[in-house]
This record gives sequence, structure tokens and C-alpha cells, in this order.
Amino acid sequence: MNYIAERAQLRQSQLVGLIEEVCQHVEPSSYQRDMAKQRYESVGDWLARSDDWLLASIAIRLQGSVAIGTAVKPIGANEHDVDLVAHVPDLDLAVSPALLKQRIGDRLRSNGNYAGLLIEMPRCWRLDYANEFHLDITPSIPNPECRLGGELVPDKTLKMWKASNPQGYRAKFERRAALLPRIRSVFGKAFDSARSDAQVEPYPEEKRLKGILRRIVQIAKRHRDVHFIDDDQGLAPLSIIITTLASRAYETCVSNFEYDHELDLIVDVLRRMPQMLQTTTIEGRLVWCLWNQTTAGENFCEKWNRHPERATAFFEWHGKVVADVENLAGTRGLDQVRRLLGDIFGTAPTNKAMDSLIERVDTARATNRLSVSRPVGLIMGTAASATPVRANTFFGDRP
Amino acid sequence: MRLGRPKALTIAQQYVNLQGNPLSAGHGTLRAGSFTWAYATSPTPLSRDYLIRIEMACDASPRVFVDDPDIELLAGDRDLPHIYRNPTRLCLYLPGTREWQPSLRLDQTIVPWTSLWLFYFEDWLESGEWKGGGMHPGEASRTRQGRRRLGIRRPDECEIGNEE
Repeated sequence: MNYIAERAQLRQSQLVGLIEEVCQHVEPSSYQRDMAKQRYESVGDWLARSDDWLLASIAIRLQGSVAIGTAVKPIGANEHDVDLVAHVPDLDLAVSPALLKQRIGDRLRSNGNYAGLLIEMPRCWRLDYANEFHLDITPSIPNPECRLGGELVPDKTLKMWKASNPQGYRAKFERRAALLPRIRSVFGKAFDSARSDAQVEPYPEEKRLKGILRRIVQIAKRHRDVHFIDDDQGLAPLSIIITTLASRAYETCVSNFEYDHELDLIVDVLRRMPQMLQTTTIEGRLVWCLWNQTTAGENFCEKWNRHPERATAFFEWHGKVVADVENLAGTRGLDQVRRLLGDIFGTAPTNKAMDSLIERVDTARATNRLSVSRPVGLIMGTAASATPVRANTFFGDRP
Repeated sequence: MRLGRPKALTIAQQYVNLQGNPLSAGHGTLRAGSFTWAYATSPTPLSRDYLIRIEMACDASPRVFVDDPDIELLAGDRDLPHIYRNPTRLCLYLPGTREWQPSLRLDQTIVPWTSLWLFYFEDWLESGEWKGGGMHPGEASRTRQGRRRLGIRRPDECEIGNEE
């Protein structure tokens, strides 16, 4: 490989490595994941041991971004949401959402450990573990009409059950995430898409949080959080919309195209996200649809049709995220990389990742293990044809 | 020349070594008693490509210029750290110490230090902090401990500020 091609490959691999590192800073830590798992298993146990006949067969299951490994921590706060479904398989529509929710709340409140943490939300109960996470517990019953094994969860008014399928959605996402992209790169494969879905665990194991689709979703969600940091009108696109668009675009991309590098794939998936939206015209009005493919009747974009400004905000944000990631992919200079990564992920996680790059060089320099080679530049350790960096003291004129 | 001191390399030897090291692969002009060497380098795969020019004459210290891009333009209205001025050139070692001496090969000292300088320079551009350590005139420690930390073993030979 010639010098220029080798440099281009190395550049892309280093960028992907940096993105991977920043993503690790924006997602819940392994400590937080372990704590959440312990906590929600205890809650599940407490609910299951209830004497309430209504809750006799209740079981707690993970859903949402923690379940599929795409969670990002909110900016400037440490708590993230851990979404749980409290599913009762032997109940039917005769039980109202309000009643089931109330019984679950009663049971939680009867435990001194939970009573003080319990917050009532419109459709669910929240256990608020300060500085760690919220456990959001949503009641659910089977949906007898869903051929795909879907469930029913309360609507916002608690008067009706509405179709959903968290387990089916998770399975479909995981199937897509397991699709292997065709990458021509002879160098780094920083995202291990192959292994990421090897096992299904009650709680995602650490390595399941890797994988290129999950990282794309995290990039987009984090960029959304940065972009809409001052949004107080609910304009920010919902995570379910971003996740659904990205996972369908990913399936299209990996099934049809071959890429020079992971970074090209990331950009192409982001670029194609809006292509996965459907529109129809009803009575002369444009209607946006993004149907849940795992149950009938759930349109993730439903609210865009009552609030068209949300669709506008989505397209404006989408243009920005694509441009920002494209700029990063094409940039030169550690200063520009830091600035553009900051545009995407925010300054705090970006600085952590960039500073650790500097620290690795500092450490190698202090221990006489730093050398320089022509294609790579500074390297830790030695390599054939690399020149060691001897100790030096930068000097110069007084500024 | 004092006994026990390694012999200074000739201008031609320095030139040939620069020519032979893949790290400083480039082109230059060798004259009687001086040379100019130019090469392209980049401190990391994420960095810019820089055009470096090294000038050296007999009995003088090497001078290191960044010909492209314009590092002063990149710095904007900020003072560049760790440079000599008029003309602007990189200041890569503490003069008067043995960090660099005429017996040492430029391609094994000045060239890797230039990569290191560029690395910390790019970081400084955005973070505003020079993380590569070093010192500026007047900061030189006059205590024995300070000198030892800087690796100055013979304070009597120190000629700080009298580099060229």
C-alpha cells in the first residue's frame, strides 16, 4: 500500500477509535449497568412475591435503550433512564391500565426501600436512585390481537391499552445489529459487530454494548441531545424515531453496499435515515409514518402529524448531524478533531477522549517508550524503521 | 576539543543521515559548510501534513522552520509557545545541556522532536494548553535540584539563551 493510502486508512481507524472512546464516556458505565441490574432484579422479585392476585405472575423485563445497548447519559447529569416492563401474562383487557398501575404502585410503596424513591409518572412508576439512574416501570399485558407476540401498555390517559412490542422490537433491533457490514479496510475493525449479538442475556453484557449500529444510534442520539440542549418545546426527535430510522438504514446499507471503512458506513447510515420515513396524503394533508414493524398500529411519528414543527426540527437536525460527522471524517489536525468531536458529542466526553490520547503520549515519553515512524507519526513502543524520541526540554523566546 | 567528548558530526554526515532515515525522507541542498533539508511529516494520522525545513551551518545549531501550513496564522492572535522569533523557528531542546550536541544525529533528535512539537502544537491550538512541558528563558532553575531535573549536569557549561 502506498504512503497516502496507508495514511488515509490509519486516519479513519484513529477517528473510529476516538469515536468508540467518546461513546464509552457518554454511555452508562459498567458500574451503573451492574447496579441497575441488581436493583431491577430486586424490584422484580418484590413484585413477584406479592399476595395480590392481580400480580401473581408478574415479571420485570428490560426494554428501551438499555435493553438494546444504545443508552446515552443525559448531558450534565449522571442519571439515565432504565426502562422496564412489568408484564403480567395472564391478564386480559378486562383489567384497566389504571388499576394494574395502581396495584403495582401499592406493592412498591409497601416496601420501605422503595416508598421514598417512588415517583408517579403518567404511564409508569419511577424509582429515582439519585446520581445513578431512574427505573421506569411500565405495566403491560399480552395483546391477544397481535400475531407477533406484542403487548399492551397504558396510553397517556391510563384509560386505554395501546399496542406495543418491546420484546419484539428488541429482537428485531438485535437481528439488524448482528448483520455484518462489508468493509474493505485492511486495518482496524474497531467495532466488533460480529460478536456483539452472540448471546442474549437478561441484561446486556459489556461487549454487547459494542457494535457499529449501536454506536451509530449513540452518535445520533448524543448529537440530538447537544443540538436540542435548549429545547423546551419538545422539538427534539424521539429516541425511538432515531433508533428505528438508523437500524433500518443500517440494514439497507449492509445488505446492499460495500464500504472502504467503518466511518464511510457510519456517514451513509446517518445520511439514509430519512429515506426510511413514509408519507401519505390524507385529505390533502401530508401524514408522516414510521410504523413499528413488530406490532400493528404504532406510528412512532404520530406526533409529527399534530406538530409539524417537530418534523421540521427533525430534518434540520438531521442535516446538521450528517454535516458534522462528514466534517469530522474529512478534517485534518488534532485541534480540528477535538472541535468537531465536541460539536457531535459535547465538550466533556470529547476532552476526556482527546486528553487521554495526549496522556498516552506523555506516559510513553516519560518512560522512554515513545518513537516516531513515517506513516503513523508518534507511536508507543518501537517498530521496525521507527526512530526513538530521546528526552528533550522545549525551550524558546519569552512570549 | 576536550577528552571524552564524542566527536562532532560533519555537515555532510548530518545531511546523509537525514537523507537515509525514512522519517525525514525529503530533499535538500548540500553546500560547503551548510545545508538545507526539507521534508513532509505529520505527528499523528489525524494531524495535518507539515513541511519542515532544517538549516544547518558549521559550528552552529540547527534551525527548524515550518514552511507549511503557516503556524502563526493557525495560532491567530496568540503567541506561539516554544519558538524562537525573527524568523519563527521551533525551539526543541534546552541549549547548553547535552540534549542536543553536534555529535548527535539530527534525524534521531531534531526530527523526532519536531514531530513531538507538532503534536503538542495541534493540541495547544484547541485546548489552549501546552502539555509538552519545557521552559522559557528566565524560568531556568538556579538551584542544583532544578538543574538536575532538567538534566543539566555541568552548570558551568550552560549558556542559556546563547544558542546560535
